[in-house]
Amino acid sequence: MNTLSPTRTGTGASRAGALAGPDPRPGIFDELSKRELRRAMLSGIAIPGYQVPYGSREMPVARGWGSGGLQATLSLVCDEDQLKVIDQGEDAGVNASNLRRLITEHTGAGEETDTRAADIIQSRHRIPEQPLTDGQILVLQVPNAEPLFRIVQEMDEQRRMHAEADYAKMWVWLYEDIVHNGLITAAAGYPVLVEGRYVMTPSPIPRWDVPKMNDSDAITILSAGREKRLFAVPPHTRVVPLTFDDRPFEVEYTPGTACRLCGSDDTYLVEEPGENGAPGTWSCSDTDFCTRRRTGDAPADVAGQPVELARAALRRATREQEETS
Amino acid sequence: MITPAPAPASAAAVHPEEPAWLELDQLTERLNLAVDRAMGEAGLWAPMLAARAVRQAEGDPTEAAHLLRAHRAALPRLAVSVPVATSELRVVRRISSAFRNPPGGQILGRTVDYAGRLLDLLPEDEGRAHVTDEPLAPADDGHLHHDHDHDHEHSADPVAVERVPGNVLAILREMGLVAPLPERPDDPEPYDITRRPARPGAPRSAWLQTMARGDTGSLVHLWWYGCDWRPDHEIPGELRHGALPVRIAHPHTGKPVTVAEVRVSEVESFYNVPRAAAQRHLGVGYGICFGHNERKSIAMAGLDLALAHYDADSELHHDVLLTLDGLDSTGYAQHLKLPHHVEYRSVLDRAEAAGQDANPPGETA
Amino acid sequence: MSTHTPQSRPWALKVSGLGRIYGDPSPASLTGTGPEHGTAVSPSTGAVVAAWDVSFEVAPGEALGIIGESGSGKSTVMRCIAGDEAATTGGIALRSVADGTVNLCDLLPSARRRLRLKDIAAVYQDPAAGLNLDVTAGGNIADPLTAVGWRSYDGIRQRAAELLERVEVPLSRMDDLVRTFSGGMRQRVQIAKALANDPPVLLLDEPTTGLDASVAAGVLDLLRGLLEETGVAAVVVSHDFGVIDMLTRRVLVMKHGRVVESGLTDQLLEDPQHPYSQQLVAAARG
Repeated sequence: MNTLSPTRTGTGASRAGALAGPDPRPGIFDELSKRELRRAMLSGIAIPGYQVPYGSREMPVARGWGSGGLQATLSLVCDEDQLKVIDQGEDAGVNASNLRRLITEHTGAGEETDTRAADIIQSRHRIPEQPLTDGQILVLQVPNAEPLFRIVQEMDEQRRMHAEADYAKMWVWLYEDIVHNGLITAAAGYPVLVEGRYVMTPSPIPRWDVPKMNDSDAITILSAGREKRLFAVPPHTRVVPLTFDDRPFEVEYTPGTACRLCGSDDTYLVEEPGENGAPGTWSCSDTDFCTRRRTGDAPADVAGQPVELARAALRRATREQEETS
Repeated sequence: MITPAPAPASAAAVHPEEPAWLELDQLTERLNLAVDRAMGEAGLWAPMLAARAVRQAEGDPTEAAHLLRAHRAALPRLAVSVPVATSELRVVRRISSAFRNPPGGQILGRTVDYAGRLLDLLPEDEGRAHVTDEPLAPADDGHLHHDHDHDHEHSADPVAVERVPGNVLAILREMGLVAPLPERPDDPEPYDITRRPARPGAPRSAWLQTMARGDTGSLVHLWWYGCDWRPDHEIPGELRHGALPVRIAHPHTGKPVTVAEVRVSEVESFYNVPRAAAQRHLGVGYGICFGHNERKSIAMAGLDLALAHYDADSELHHDVLLTLDGLDSTGYAQHLKLPHHVEYRSVLDRAEAAGQDANPPGETA
Repeated sequence: MSTHTPQSRPWALKVSGLGRIYGDPSPASLTGTGPEHGTAVSPSTGAVVAAWDVSFEVAPGEALGIIGESGSGKSTVMRCIAGDEAATTGGIALRSVADGTVNLCDLLPSARRRLRLKDIAAVYQDPAAGLNLDVTAGGNIADPLTAVGWRSYDGIRQRAAELLERVEVPLSRMDDLVRTFSGGMRQRVQIAKALANDPPVLLLDEPTTGLDASVAAGVLDLLRGLLEETGVAAVVVSHDFGVIDMLTRRVLVMKHGRVVESGLTDQLLEDPQHPYSQQLVAAARG
């Protein structure tokens, strides 16, 4: 094997190519595998919220750093697409930057941070505040695909429960939560019912983002590389957080807080602790939206208007207080 | 992540302060067990690529296996090899703990088993005491040649070393201790864990594949952990290390053509007693993996026996199918290092709200 | 045993020719089994004929007893009706399912499980079989309620409180984990859960076995009251004639998988015909 002589220089990829065949610059995901992923995604779109197993391939990132999202994005993206990648809402996060560079370098797609201009948005833990539009695809990275994992451990039983839409144990779990804690304590990754049929985890997005999934104009693909399954929410699908009729769904909200940069009080804010005991400051987790709010280039309402849920909850709490006093 | 490989020959010249990179043949010949382990856990036989992966992973076999698997995922699957019987194995090492002198003999081969684990403080070329390289040590000799001069380490006559001895299991079959092979074997197409995720309830071919490319440490741990509570332990009837041909059907003639050769470690274990009085035959467990990795194939064979014994929905089946993959487990550990502050804010919000909730729990509405 | 046509007396549950064989289900397995042979194990095939040729009907508001010692097949019959295991042969029909025209044995397991929501409920000897011990009493009752679509938290709590009151569990225990309950209390919670969706058919498998005599008497009193006031059709499986006498009007006696005698409970207690029945009655009389 002279072509593998250690003294020959070049990239690992091109040298491996000499062994593998004529293509001197193989990509990071072979075409036949992409086809399999696309078939799985079509199945997912056909059965909203159903977990479609797929033969997850090994990506050049750790299984946990978006290997599932990466496979989905690579199977969808072409060189004419604009790609946005965010982690925790930020385009500039290390993980997001790495993934974006990796994908654009190997596919010829363009790098994009403006949500409006992106064809495909791969995200970890957030849905952008900018309302998504027809033709856009949101790819969410999923660490734990099974919404029933806290309820039953056996995989067969989980699959049976999904198959028979037997979710009583999930409701009992919510009931018990209220009994023990006074409210439903499920935080990020709040369980949702998709089109009245499958219970699904929306990936660990905050509750704030859950209303954005309902009746969205865009396609959402949720892909779990380590757990080797994906699921999808097609456009204009009902996505309803599981809760009792008389216990309204609550989103994250701290009254009186606003972004220190753009002043928004209707976006998902994250706190930065103050130094030396000083009070913390809040800022938008969606950095693209925050930037555009500052230049007046962002819409008045964020997608799903989660702040309305928060304000309604506040009004309820005030009314209850008045009634009791 | 496919970083440009450093050019070993010129690296020292360009960066005189940096130590030179190991040559690939240094890795395949002197750190061969690390290269073998990377190939085993990658499930990919490619010694030169594996050596490169070990070098680029700075010696971490798990990272090297990741590089190899990610590289493999970039390539199309062009063909599927035809099944090969491991009775064709050309052994370089073969021992049986079931027989003192099995037909074909005990072939100790290359191993550190019989060497004192003394750190040699002399330069390795002078010391050489740490590896036994005894290609043919007949069992009836009873003498392990510890103190011989081992200068012939790499000059062993390959003809003398490579042999195709009879299979110990076949002897046990003839003795009626092991169930005979079915005349018309139930031989379904094996499960392909690289294309279909293996879940509890998957057939034996799925669990064997999962173990064959599982993380060595995890596999040995799971097996050893079970040795604590499983009733009796197994005996490796035969442990072999050697080469097997890889054949594919010729695209035009359809006839099998040998296109490559892989080295494997293979173990066939059985329980020392039949597990039930009514059961006439010994259960057989099978372990195999790429390269020279005896503890992995021993652990695999032991777990295979145990898996056959427990129900498909048992914890053991779950653990074998879902927790042994090195990429999965390290991937999960790696992901904890990523930022989680969006999730954290959501959790904090619930904790605060639960604290503020004025209604005492359990108040009947 | 007398049979009733649906016209003369509407049954809620009808079992006809029910059989359950573990092992070779061929007719060869039947030969040499049954009370006259003193065994349920087939001498030729080794199969266990756990139950064979069991037929009965139960009307709304009626309770039927099945008595026998362990291994007689009575619990097997109950598990087949409940859908916990599959019958080898025979018919099981519920009036509430297509007016009794469907043999439940022909349904898919998923459809069988769905019947457990509203159509048929079971109370097991072991509360852990019918309850999740790590969930509160209220949460256990919430399970069947949410399964049929209850979505009001306050509504569920109100219904759970009603049911617990009915089975005489103090409301102060509603939010305690069932694991912290005594055996008798657990059994009461299990009964409350079984009644949550007002099923037309209720199966009771040794509901008081394992409880202290005084506790068992309390649970039996409760059950008798419930059977009288709810109009449910009940099947009570027990090895104890005391239980059968207290709860049922009619009874089948089973031995080695076969029904050896059947009739009105008080008459059978008064004048048992089959030697085995006589033995059981004598045992109950002490």
